[in-house]
Amino acid sequence: MVNLTIDDKQVTAPKNATIYDAAKMNGISIPILCHDKKLKPFGACRMCLVEVEQMKGRQIPACTTPATEGMIIRTATPDIIKARKMVLELLLLNHPLDCPVCDKSGDCDLQNLTYEYKVNSNRFTDEKFNHEIDYNNPLIERDMNRCVLCGKCARICDEIVSFGALTFIDRGIETKIGCEFEDGLNCEFCGSCISVCPVGSLLARPFKHKARFWAMTKHKSVCGYCATGCNLTLGVKDNKVLTTIYDEDQGFHKGQLCVRGRFGYQFINSAKRLTKPLVRKNGVLTESTWDEALEVVAVRLKGGTAVGALATPRLTNEELSLFKQLLVEKVGTSNFDHSAGYAHAALTKGLVSSFGTAASSATILDIQKSDFLLVLKSDTYETHPVVGFEINMAVKNKDVKLTIISDKRGKLSKLPDAKTTVHRPGSELHLINAIAKALIDENLIDESARTISGFAELTAALSGLTAEAVTEYTGVSSSEIKKIASEYATASKALIIFPVGQAYTGHTAALASALANLSILTGKNGKEGAGVLCLSEKNNSQGAVDAGFYSQGNGLDALQILDGCTSGSIKTLFIAGENPLVSYPNRTKVKAALDAVEFLVVSELFMTDTAAMADVVLPVCSFAEKEGTFTSSDRRVQYIKPAIRKIGQCKTDYEVFSLLLSKLGGTAPVTAAAQFDVLASKTPGYEKLSFAVLRKDGAYAPVSIKPVLVVTKAEKPIAAEPGNLLLVTGSALYHSGTLSQYGEGPMHVCPEGYIEFSRTDAASLKIVENDLVTVTSESGSLQLKVKVSLRIPVGVVFAPYHFAASSINTIWNGAPVTKVSVTK
Amino acid sequence: MNPITPIINGMKITLKHMFMKPVTLQYPTERPKVSERFRGLHGLKVAHSKAKCVACYLCPTVCPAKCITVEAGEDANHDKYASVYEIDMLRCIFCGYCVEACPVDALKMTGEFELANYTRQDFIYSKERLLEK
Repeated sequence: MVNLTIDDKQVTAPKNATIYDAAKMNGISIPILCHDKKLKPFGACRMCLVEVEQMKGRQIPACTTPATEGMIIRTATPDIIKARKMVLELLLLNHPLDCPVCDKSGDCDLQNLTYEYKVNSNRFTDEKFNHEIDYNNPLIERDMNRCVLCGKCARICDEIVSFGALTFIDRGIETKIGCEFEDGLNCEFCGSCISVCPVGSLLARPFKHKARFWAMTKHKSVCGYCATGCNLTLGVKDNKVLTTIYDEDQGFHKGQLCVRGRFGYQFINSAKRLTKPLVRKNGVLTESTWDEALEVVAVRLKGGTAVGALATPRLTNEELSLFKQLLVEKVGTSNFDHSAGYAHAALTKGLVSSFGTAASSATILDIQKSDFLLVLKSDTYETHPVVGFEINMAVKNKDVKLTIISDKRGKLSKLPDAKTTVHRPGSELHLINAIAKALIDENLIDESARTISGFAELTAALSGLTAEAVTEYTGVSSSEIKKIASEYATASKALIIFPVGQAYTGHTAALASALANLSILTGKNGKEGAGVLCLSEKNNSQGAVDAGFYSQGNGLDALQILDGCTSGSIKTLFIAGENPLVSYPNRTKVKAALDAVEFLVVSELFMTDTAAMADVVLPVCSFAEKEGTFTSSDRRVQYIKPAIRKIGQCKTDYEVFSLLLSKLGGTAPVTAAAQFDVLASKTPGYEKLSFAVLRKDGAYAPVSIKPVLVVTKAEKPIAAEPGNLLLVTGSALYHSGTLSQYGEGPMHVCPEGYIEFSRTDAASLKIVENDLVTVTSESGSLQLKVKVSLRIPVGVVFAPYHFAASSINTIWNGAPVTKVSVTK
Repeated sequence: MNPITPIINGMKITLKHMFMKPVTLQYPTERPKVSERFRGLHGLKVAHSKAKCVACYLCPTVCPAKCITVEAGEDANHDKYASVYEIDMLRCIFCGYCVEACPVDALKMTGEFELANYTRQDFIYSKERLLEK
């Protein structure tokens, strides 16, 4: 800590603080245009000039000057104010002053400072810029005439997003921000550049001219897409969510969002939202009343174990636990599940057997505190982009070593010094087991591991694993495996990150246990910056597991429930928000099951393919219309409250379940808060949590682990035959589940399904980007658009699973790797 | 005092007024002369054959009666214009703040004061009705 005096006030600041930071921490505001909390000091705008007595009254920029012991600083002398006024005059000289038509007006740093410093005339004259404005981009509009060259957009794109789409081009008065070769913007569209722009140079096109900043009410919420648990501020006007607003103080990610979080909000007020309950009459879904619809559902729910239920992990903790209560206590069934059953097995089976609890042993905050990151699948960036940003920052700013084990390269592979080990598809488990064997063979294990139960069994099981077999299955040499093992073991803090999800069928319970074995063998758990972080797929996947909404005991899991529908043992199926027809493997089988089941009730926001097959469709609310809690994949429990009133006649799932509960003779707690208290009392780690505690910032539910080494047996991965390619499924960066199809932003930049080829395969098949090809597997065939990229290894193709229009489960039956043939 | 005097005085005033120019007007046959700065019905100014309004939302922001509804749109040249501009004359208090706030001098208040109408809906002046003729 250093002691200094700012404006006659004695203050202290950390050793690495700049004068600007020191002042801000102590409530003294210094005007600035080119600084953001998350970015490195740059010193472009010269607004933050201050006088330091020791520097003989020279004016120095506060944002780049470190605070040192005994500094005496003045932030607002007449000289400084004069200098700042001149800076503003010079900035306004070329600024177009089109505030009436600029969407930034009201939230514009330049406008606010001009007001504050009363710059109402200009001593200078010059021409305005006449740069071409980019109106063509569907998400980010660039008007360089308004630019003040603070460089924040270029810096955030480089330092945090690591994409480097924007940069300064040209010199002197001609300088502007642009893309390479002055081309259009073709990036990840995370919109980080928009969020930090101090003027209206970069604007969100979907929000263009929608509303004024001051006319919107700002509601804090939690993103409803992936399990990172990013915090959002929704801009609401006339009961419509119009935009997401940047707040640099929000959440662990400091307001940083990905394309889905920032631009995918339109589904909330989509015109396609269901607004009235529908009941099938004479074969047609017809509008009905809630009374009628719920009465029909309640009658059919009295079927005991012949009732099955699938819920989406996008429901709140309270809704999931109430749904479970309804099913167990009043319906009398334990046949309920979420996420196709297998997508949560890594937590509910894998980590339960390894750690004794269905939770990760590390948090997202550990990423930047670690020394070594072992990331399984480059897709971690695509499935959880904001976690990806954390990895970027760890690698670029904190010198954290990064090793990626993946079946294809990806964005993370491009980070400085990132090492990517590309293995044959479907051989993850072999590779991880081989690393475990290398740890034991090379004696890289922590002494404590020898006493942990299962050590002898694991050593014995691994001793049968020969180097030749591993190299044959994985395509990775034993020296490379040994290198990963030794780097992992010797790092004092090493963190394993892996995503799970409906498209990642290879990420099984066994894989989770195998990864946990690595951390247990080397004693990496229970330390800051170390452990295993399982990134679950949907915003409340971890919450669904914590609330126990998955098959346990005699209960059927999701795929068994669908089998039960086909065989007739399940007569009533309640699907709350899932869209199995698109997101579950093997479309033919799912369709047969939904056709066969006697009574299908779906509660949904939209008329999805699944809802269209239902006997009763109940319109329910999005996350922006309800109160409750979501648990992110690192067990951060966060509170959400309604930002808008309910759309049409929609009810929240909570209301639906409590009405059904009362129709079946039970009572539900009236408020979500009371339901949460019930849940908290039963869930380990949640004991001290309540809505009152969570309302402000949310809280981590602590995880305590009891490590056990688990023997995992790897199946022989399938190998390609001549004429075949190996299809691996996964997530696209712009989408999450099937919900993002209704968010306009993601659909602007990634509107349809595609299949990604390596250049070699594309050349040998004589196909080019955007060609339409027919992909055929054992289970069916499907037309998909071609994408050609450098990241895919030869013989492998990749396809994302989100799209109803080109549903990948037509050709994919849930195998981690599918043999496909491709014809033009 | 003589009881007759006040009556005479009163009659004097009455008679004097009989020969004075009346202050009242024989409305509607006679029309008042409206002052330049009279604040009557609003008018949207036109330049280059389109409304000058750029839909900056300052008038609905400043309006104390909250009677102005603006919705902005983007035209073929990517310029901002008011796709909806409505004033609810039943709520308007004719304070003229909207005219004062307008940064592009697109709004004025005309001398039009005959705003009576039959239905509530008729008092909502759309953009077409407000455009100066």
